Formats: sequence, C-alpha cells, structure tokens
Amino acid sequence: MVPLSDSDLVSRARQGDELAYEALVRQHQEAIFRLAYLLLGDRSDADDVAQETFIRAFRALDRFDTARPLRPWLLQIAANLARNRRRAIGRYFAVLRRMVKADPDMFEPSAAVDARHGESLALWQFVRRLEQTDQEIIYLRYFLELSEADIAETLGVAPGTVKSRLHRAIGRLRGVMKQEGFTG
Amino acid sequence: MSEQPFDSSGPRSPEEQLEARLHQTARAFRYPPTPDIAGAVRQRLTRTPRSALRRRVAWVIILLLISLCMLLAVPQVRAAILNLLRLGGVIIVLEQPTATPTPAQTTTPIPTSTPIRSLLDLAGETTLDQAQQSVRFPIRWPNYPANLPDRVYRQDIDGAVIVLVWIDPKHVGGIRYSLHILDEGALVYKMKPKVIQETTIHGQRAIWTEGPYILQWQRGKNAEWEMRRIVRGNVLIWMDGKLTYRLETDSSLEEAVRVAESVPRITP
Repeated sequence: MVPLSDSDLVSRARQGDELAYEALVRQHQEAIFRLAYLLLGDRSDADDVAQETFIRAFRALDRFDTARPLRPWLLQIAANLARNRRRAIGRYFAVLRRMVKADPDMFEPSAAVDARHGESLALWQFVRRLEQTDQEIIYLRYFLELSEADIAETLGVAPGTVKSRLHRAIGRLRGVMKQEGFTG
Repeated sequence: MSEQPFDSSGPRSPEEQLEARLHQTARAFRYPPTPDIAGAVRQRLTRTPRSALRRRVAWVIILLLISLCMLLAVPQVRAAILNLLRLGGVIIVLEQPTATPTPAQTTTPIPTSTPIRSLLDLAGETTLDQAQQSVRFPIRWPNYPANLPDRVYRQDIDGAVIVLVWIDPKHVGGIRYSLHILDEGALVYKMKPKVIQETTIHGQRAIWTEGPYILQWQRGKNAEWEMRRIVRGNVLIWMDGKLTYRLETDSSLEEAVRVAESVPRITP
C-alpha cells in the first residue's frame, strides 16, 4: 500500500478524518519534539510545546497551503511557541512545583550522558548561549539536518538569507567556543 | 573534557572544519525518547466539550494556585508544606530525608569534577570590583587555598547572590570549587541531596550535603529562571551573621570545613 503524502493527509484531515491527522502527527512528532527540546532543554516543556504545535496546526489546517511542505510550517509554529514559553512569567513557580515531584535526572541532561555523548552535549551548551535566532538556525541545519530551502520555509526568509544567517551564527558560535578555550 | 573535544580532520578552512564538527557532534546528540504526542493530541482534539464545567474547574485551579503561591510566600508555611530544611537562604527539599544529625568524622567519597559548561550561560557575570559595588555586604573569600576567584557572578534571587568560581587548573574545563554568598532575603532551593549531615563552622551550625541536586538559577541574557543541577559534588552551607555561604566542592567534608573556616568572618 502506497503511503499517503502529507498533502493527501492534510486534505483528509480537513474533511474530519481523525486518523489522517493522527498519521500526520506521528510522521512529524519526533522532529517537532526534538526542536522544542533543544530550544527549551526540558522534556516536559518540549512535550507540551509539541502537543500545542499540533493542536494549533489542526485548528489552522484550512489556512495551510498544501503546495508547501508541511514540516517547516510545523517547525515554525513550534519555534514560536518555544520562544513564548521561554518568556513566560511565572515559569519559575511552574518548574518548582514540578521539580518537587520529579526525578532530578529528568532535568539534567548530563546525568544520562556518557563520555561518547559529551561532545554533543558540550556543543549544545555552547549553542544555548547564543541568541534564539542563532540557536534556531543551527538546530535546524545541524541537529535536524534540514535543507536550506526547508530552513527558509521555516524561518520565512529567502534561501540566500539562510546562508548568510547561518554564516553569522557559526561565527558567533566560534566566538563562544574560543572564549571558553576551545579552538577551531 | 579535553582541550579540543571535537574531532577535526582534513585540510579544510576553519569555517568548513567547524561545520564538519557541528554535523558530527550534532548527530551524536542523545535526545530523550519522543513521547506519544499523537495519542495526546488525539485525546485533546476528541475530548467532549463541556466548556461550562471546564471553565469552573479552571477557575478552581487558578484560585488554588494563587492560594499556593500566597502560602509559599510565608517561609514557615512553605517549610511545613514542602517538608523543608532551611539554613539561612538555602532551603533543602527533603523528599526522602537521610539526615544524620551528628558531627561528621567520616571520610566523604570524592565525586567527579564538575564540568565548567554548567556555568556557561549563568546570568550576571561581572568582576569582583563591580560585584562589591553592587552589594551592601563585604565580599569575602577563602584564604585557603589562597587565590582570587576566576569568575564572579551577581544574581538576584529575592536578594543579592554573589557566586565566586575557582577553575580547576589540573582539569581543563573543570571547576575546583565555588562559593555562593547570599544576602539576607535571598533564597535558593535545593532538591533531594543524597546525604544531609550537620557539622560546625567556627562553632556555628552548618549543613553538609552530598550527591547531585538541583538548584534554582537565573540563566541567559534575560536572566530567565531555571531549575538546574549545576554541581555534581558536595555542598557545605553555613552562616555568618545574616549572610549565608554555600561552598560547592569536589573535596571531602574535612577539606571543605578547612576552606570554609578560612573565609574571613564579618561578624565578630
């Protein structure tokens, strides 16, 4: 059986086919969750943002242009939601309440990371020091391995702009790494 | 962590080398398992709309949260609710306490070095002079082992907090110890340390905790709140007048007490 394309699934979901929308979510949930996790650094927050992304996408499905790829649109929603969440007032109290009940290891990525993953974790920590716009483009390009065209769709900019933004973000990343004594 | 943790090879430009490193290291990143988002979204979308009831429940929850925040604003109530142990500005949440309220004479296991990356995005990095100008108490640091701190941070957690950090010269990227000085009114929370033990500094009560714990911090340029485990090592907490000191260290309790007692006292 030939799997349905995103465009077909969107059309069916618009007509009320819940299974079609669930299939779409399954298709993209990992990428959305991972971007949210990279931006927020907390799996519970990332889960919330990923769910909210698909709820909002469902409600806006009629406005989605099926001629365009779906994933960049979803990533764009997720990035916006993550940005808002980081700014949210009262975040501290929410986290505090959760932490009282939670296992500390859930919130400390390094606890579960052995030496083989130390490098990628260190890189993540360097990237997290950058402005969110720089973080987003680095995550999309290197962590989620999106093409420049898809990044342009996600960020709503021209492909040429992606190249120059990426170049500047890498320059700033190198500055952070040098500042901490890492060469290259 | 080595001095050059990222592998690079081939005669390429620095730009290309860094890009290659980014690709390589980003691929090795270990994400948490993706939860069943599709299932959760399906449930949320198919939930029977009972808006009136939902609104009423939402109001009840909001009122409960407001009440909780008000209660948590009162230290005594907060302690009673959360089963807390408090010394000065440090509150320890005792989920499964293993308190040993006896003066310690035992040797403490030495944990692994704390990675400096934990500190990279803490808010408020400053100089010692600027930090001193920003607080109303004299900033003191240990005479043993005698050295000026390598990094200084100034945070505000309901009161001024100064964080002094000494880098470990033997382990690149490691922290030897750090000293946190909390002004009156400043509060930090710690969660679930493995061992809590009472000891004394200059004859005054002090608390020693071992094992990983989570601490409330401000991070990033916007000084956002975050709960984060910053130290893998042990912590000694004591007071001098209204100031609370927290010494984070990979050393044993005996060594930590020696360092703590070398901090010049403010009160006679």
